[in-house]
Amino acid sequence: MKTYKYLLMAAALTLFFCGQALAHKVNLFAYVESGKIYTESYFPDGRPVVSGKIKVYDSANQLLLEGVTDPEGRFNFTIPKADDLTIIVEASMGHKNSFKLKKAEVEAGK
Amino acid sequence: MQKSPFILVCLFASLLSLNAGPVWAHFGTIIPSHDIITQYDDKHLNLQIKFIHPMEMQYMEMAKPKRFGVIQGGKAQDLLATLKSTKGKAADQQESFTFWSAEYTIHRPGDYTFFVEPAPYWEPAEDLFIVHYTKVCVHALGLEAGWDQPVGLETEIVPLTRPYGLWTGNLFTGQVLLKGRPVPGAEVEVEYLNESPDNRSIVHAPSDPFVTQVVKADGNGIFSYAMPRSGWWGFAALSQAGWKLQHDGQDKGVEIGAVFWVRTVDMK
Repeated sequence: MKTYKYLLMAAALTLFFCGQALAHKVNLFAYVESGKIYTESYFPDGRPVVSGKIKVYDSANQLLLEGVTDPEGRFNFTIPKADDLTIIVEASMGHKNSFKLKKAEVEAGK
Repeated sequence: MQKSPFILVCLFASLLSLNAGPVWAHFGTIIPSHDIITQYDDKHLNLQIKFIHPMEMQYMEMAKPKRFGVIQGGKAQDLLATLKSTKGKAADQQESFTFWSAEYTIHRPGDYTFFVEPAPYWEPAEDLFIVHYTKVCVHALGLEAGWDQPVGLETEIVPLTRPYGLWTGNLFTGQVLLKGRPVPGAEVEVEYLNESPDNRSIVHAPSDPFVTQVVKADGNGIFSYAMPRSGWWGFAALSQAGWKLQHDGQDKGVEIGAVFWVRTVDMK
């Protein structure tokens, strides 16, 4: 009887986590304006990714800076380098996405 | 009472020619170069605005629209000034007809609902004017917000199925609104756009009823249709306007259409 209950619980948990993973696809959008890079992290329905970890890498895959998204899913910083930049957001439960800013876009926003 | 066979033949031929025209449904179209923009895509869109018979690929002359714009994040933007006139025709059409083209650059994530209100089109065969309020939704950068919102046109289809990322065979469900209210029992005409860029070969209808599919909405103006081929599908819900327009000094009725376009993709 007990095993049966555990099995049910496991099944319920699996379903719960599957659902979460699907509904919680994380997105990151970044743009450059007046010398700053603005990032916005959000779920598909528009809710912000709160306290998501942001990492910014250059074209040689060197970590340039890190940050945390605010309650509106935003994190902004001054242009660290005129280069192809890869910005990564990591939300809880390992949900992750990245956004690439091309060198030309970075330079255009200086 | 003897009639010459020649007169009978003439009569028959003239009846046939009368029937040939009006079976094709008119559709306003807005077809964007992409319906989904990801971060890896060019953020540039080309939109083509036409008045055609989509399945038969016949063009009609289109005057400059009255309104052309986009709604994103609840904000409307007037794009009328970006329209450029151009010419096109079907392979079997003798002359070219005017249609309209616009360029637009996506700057932010979200759903972009493009809409057009054309100038009234005089259709002598039906003795009325036609105005098709036409919409299409382009999704950008993962933020799926806005596609289910009405624009506020005199008549429009509001999608109940998210109108992008649709597989071939999916059911499209929408609600027909007239002055913001559902239209019970609305008749919706459905056509496949034979000139869809992803159409592998021209579809030939075995007989006329195949050209335009017809579905009726329920008591809440809600209709559904399952799309059997990849490419663009147009839905046109037709109503009679409560107002008239003058043609040659006479009041004429106006058919107002609510048109929505979606694209399907084959599962591979």
